[in-house]
Amino acid sequence: MLKLSQVKSGLILFFMKEILNFLIKAGKLKEMPRRGWILRGVKEPETIAAHTFRMAIMAWVLCCYKKLNLNKIIKMALIHDLCEVYAGDTTPYDKILPKNKKKLKEIIPKWPRFLKEEKENIFQEKHEKEGKALKKITSELPTALRKEIRNLWFDYENGLTHEGKFVRQLDRVESLLQALEYFKKNKYFSTETFWIQTEELVDDPLLLKFIKTLERSFYRK
Amino acid sequence: MVERKNFYLTEEGLERIKKEYKDLKQIKSSKTGGEVPRILHSEDLNPEYLSFQEDLNFLEVRIMELENILNNAELITSPPKDKQNVIGLGATVSAEIDGQTDEFTIIGTLEANPALGRISNESPVGQALLGHRTGEEVIVSSPIKTIYKIKKIRYSSS
Repeated sequence: MLKLSQVKSGLILFFMKEILNFLIKAGKLKEMPRRGWILRGVKEPETIAAHTFRMAIMAWVLCCYKKLNLNKIIKMALIHDLCEVYAGDTTPYDKILPKNKKKLKEIIPKWPRFLKEEKENIFQEKHEKEGKALKKITSELPTALRKEIRNLWFDYENGLTHEGKFVRQLDRVESLLQALEYFKKNKYFSTETFWIQTEELVDDPLLLKFIKTLERSFYRK
Repeated sequence: MVERKNFYLTEEGLERIKKEYKDLKQIKSSKTGGEVPRILHSEDLNPEYLSFQEDLNFLEVRIMELENILNNAELITSPPKDKQNVIGLGATVSAEIDGQTDEFTIIGTLEANPALGRISNESPVGQALLGHRTGEEVIVSSPIKTIYKIKKIRYSSS
């Protein structure tokens, strides 16, 4: 009688071509610059994969001090932007962004604000688009793997479990750290929206302490 | 994994948690009993969510989490009329920030999601706003000062 591990390794061999296709698609994130930085005029900005890489490292080193499922958190960090291979790196403001570069430069330092209903519509539209994209990129994977990736993303997207909430907040904190690094290189780079969005989102005590450390490190000599 | 703290929930949020708990318990017992759960036949439920519910390990961990939440849940209720001009849990606030109008509800951590206009009472912005009244200005003191001018506070009728 076959052991479960033999069944699993047999399954992997059977799906090798599909797994390779998936990895090639996932690799596209290494070539996709993050849109927020492009809009802000950052030259040679980091890619989505670079953001994912540091976020996964952060998840690991920070999660050591929390009673959370580290395995789940690292996997969640690794797949959180996978849907962007097909959905692209969108912002909630895409529909209202001016094409004129001068006007864009004026609007960027203080992103537009919305009423509650508008926020709900924007979120729903983005969620549906990204959900479809994730289905597409994982469609050829073995069922268990496909389900795991989709479940992790759904948890992250909705902040459903403690792990989902933590990774969602970590995503914002990594972006704040990157914004501060760009700010350090170029003092004209505005970090205002990053700070306020972080302070509206983050409520995890450990991440709040980390943010205080960021503040001390980048603003006080 | 289990935290001991009070979880502030809206009536809607509490109902959602209770329903999820009931559904997951039903799915778990069906899985372990070898039956196809009736809930999976429902067309009303989001298929994405159903897929999310299918993993047994997830089910067990999530059921424990939900039990902890339900044991420590505290319902957010509207304050008496004379205190409805003060920002508390459950308040929907209209504020002017840098000349733009924003609108959000102050809510417990479990239901918070600023992308949906729901700010946690434990976040720096949530904490700064609590206790303030219409007409007041609240300064959020990150390295870059942001002023929230409170225009309107309302509570749901429940």
